[in-house]
Amino acid sequence: MKVTRRDLLAWSAGAAAGLLVTPVPWKILDDVSIWSQNWPWIPQPAHGPIEVKQSFCTLCPNGCGLRVRMAAGWPVGVGGMKTHPATRGALCPLGFGAHQLNWVPQRLRSVQRRGRSSSWNEAQAAFAKACSDGPVVVIDGYPGRAASVVMHDFARKQGGSCRVVATAESRALSPYEGWTGIPASSLGYDLENTATIISFGAPLLDGWGTPGRFTRLWAERAAEIGDPQLRLIQIEPTLSRTAARAWKWIPIREGTEFALAAGLARALLEQKLVPAHGPIPAMTIPESAAQTGISVDAICDLARSIADRLPAMAIAADQNVSVAALNVVLGAVGARGGIVRRSPRSEHDLPADIEISNARAVLIDSSVPWSFVPQTDAETFRFAAWDGAPPKADWLLPAPGFLEELTDIPTAPTSAVETYAVAPALAKPTREVRSPAQFLAALDRDLVSPEKIVHARCAEIFRSHAGTLYGQESTSAAKIPSVEKLEEQLWAGAVWVHEPSTPASLRCELNRWPSIEVSTPHTWGSDWSLPVLPPLASKLYAESDLRQTPPRRKA
Amino acid sequence: MNARYGMVIDLDRCTGCGSCMVTCAAENNVPALPQATARTGITPMLVRKVSNGQEGSDRRETFIPILCMHCEHDTPCVKVCPQQAVEVDKATGIVMQMPQRCLGCRYCMTACPYHARYFNWWDPAWPAGMEKSLNPGVAVRMRGVVEKCNLCNARLHAAMEKAAAAGKREIDPADYVPACVEACPTGAIHFGNLADANDPVTHEAQSPEAFRLLARLGTEPKVYYKSKDAWVRALGDTSSTRLSEVQHG
Repeated sequence: MKVTRRDLLAWSAGAAAGLLVTPVPWKILDDVSIWSQNWPWIPQPAHGPIEVKQSFCTLCPNGCGLRVRMAAGWPVGVGGMKTHPATRGALCPLGFGAHQLNWVPQRLRSVQRRGRSSSWNEAQAAFAKACSDGPVVVIDGYPGRAASVVMHDFARKQGGSCRVVATAESRALSPYEGWTGIPASSLGYDLENTATIISFGAPLLDGWGTPGRFTRLWAERAAEIGDPQLRLIQIEPTLSRTAARAWKWIPIREGTEFALAAGLARALLEQKLVPAHGPIPAMTIPESAAQTGISVDAICDLARSIADRLPAMAIAADQNVSVAALNVVLGAVGARGGIVRRSPRSEHDLPADIEISNARAVLIDSSVPWSFVPQTDAETFRFAAWDGAPPKADWLLPAPGFLEELTDIPTAPTSAVETYAVAPALAKPTREVRSPAQFLAALDRDLVSPEKIVHARCAEIFRSHAGTLYGQESTSAAKIPSVEKLEEQLWAGAVWVHEPSTPASLRCELNRWPSIEVSTPHTWGSDWSLPVLPPLASKLYAESDLRQTPPRRKA
Repeated sequence: MNARYGMVIDLDRCTGCGSCMVTCAAENNVPALPQATARTGITPMLVRKVSNGQEGSDRRETFIPILCMHCEHDTPCVKVCPQQAVEVDKATGIVMQMPQRCLGCRYCMTACPYHARYFNWWDPAWPAGMEKSLNPGVAVRMRGVVEKCNLCNARLHAAMEKAAAAGKREIDPADYVPACVEACPTGAIHFGNLADANDPVTHEAQSPEAFRLLARLGTEPKVYYKSKDAWVRALGDTSSTRLSEVQHG
């Protein structure tokens, strides 16, 4: 049979048409689609044994409880620890993406001296020389840890001192130091027992204090729109996230919180809505109204609303003596549902924001916010896990990142009770990092290691037989048979809480209403110590327009 | 299993913290690509701020998390997909997206009245080493496919495996909780089986305070919202264009 050109074309056309009714082209299309979605260079998750471990967030001094999902030995997911007595499973949004922080391009990779690569030996030699020339000042952003004790001891031996960069919440407690003689670091807010909170711009629902503690409390007692069990009154110029969810939002002229605090105190005292606890402010209610832009009637109504539901407590966004004085008038200092003394500690922390004139070297811990720059001419050695550029110290020293070192978790700055927990290292350090304690131990072999201090603290808690251990189940510390058992539970994620039956006494003396102090507005994330946000948080905030975030860097 | 999984989101309890967005992206291995923008990024859970339009002390704001609504009836994305890459799972009611079948035509994105679908414009990439932090339970999706919320289907599979290992046919509801529900610090997102008359979520969905976005389209979305404020409930009658404005700023 002779095959013509026409036959060939007809056969080809028939074959093409026939092929379309077979599954072949569709299967090829499907397979090409699958192959082209699985190129070998596409990153794949690490596979390996999956386990869930408990730990604590160390990115700020609030120490929220974490449930960390691990795969092949690496953290692959972070959630809240449901057994944590304060946060009860809640976390701040940044915590949920924190496990990716150790891998961000901004991770400090090597020792740097004034922007140039250097080595640990050179840094050690330079620090040793500075120490031999004069005293050392240590700056800590997360006081009370075992590592803080090591740094403090080193500075003291060198004739120097340890200073603390306080959070906005701690600064808001500082006015009471002068009136009670008790350091702000021993005071806390008894949120759980209060009925009315008057927030002067404090971002209570936006990362204030231990984030989960208030959000959980608000959800349980204050989220109802009608007449909630806990009234949250937000006094703020703009409709913030907290104001949007408050029982009452009082818009006020910016920077006039002091005037409203004085006006409210005056109204409470003049109308005998509260027993006279403190001094009468010189500012009259009409003067307060003129400054704040709130009518006299509204101020009086607000005072009645507060007195209607006691105990009440005022919370300032930052240091504000007038708001603190309002608490004295409300009888909230040293009372249930107010400002309480949680610890017998009586040493005052030296603030870090005053000039350092007598030191040859300043060592800055990685817990100090990146934005902090000490006022000093001394050589500065800054530990940091992430580089925020431009360099803000003579030496930048790579510190352990998220969950890369064992650390203890002392009481959070706003807590009403003493707590203690231990965050074991869950991730292998991804760089050649050293903690300040390791760095200092190389210079002074007599320093006690943080691990030994943690053991000593556990032994102290065991001997006290006081408090409760909150783990998978709550156990009285008195029922724990040995210090080893106590440590075992703490290492597994339990939290020790000291809940005394009678709160420590707090005597407050304020004879004159404090002089006027203009308040500064609080901005979200100003206390975030890292120069970077978890990459997913910055991505999603930028894409959702939910928050203002710093410009994202190209990877 | 013959469930109809859905949610009731109590908008009066949402503080707009964004925890649900972050945890959703972490759970589902969404890359944080620096070139992504509000229009090109992948945000299976997107929280938006909306106001009552007033100014001064009369202004009120609320936060509305927007995700795939898992439409039950005439599901628009299913109807337009030429590749059968989208289907409503008969056993769970979850609208499933199969990236292996997706050709990236984006008809489904156009059809979705909620704008809750996202296109993968780029190869997924992470800074060196960060792949170790990815969730091993969820595959990484490739450039050129559409993706969206699948109610953390990997968690459902894990729950089913657990039930099967225990010799049970039904999963324990406590074993299947999507990441956003677990992360919400105020407990604003309630998840459950809407086909179960005894499920608290079913009761909530029937409350007079509950509403659905664009319910008038008749697609029977399985994500409900709830608020005591009338102006918030009025969002249910908003137009698709207005919803797009809310989503894209």
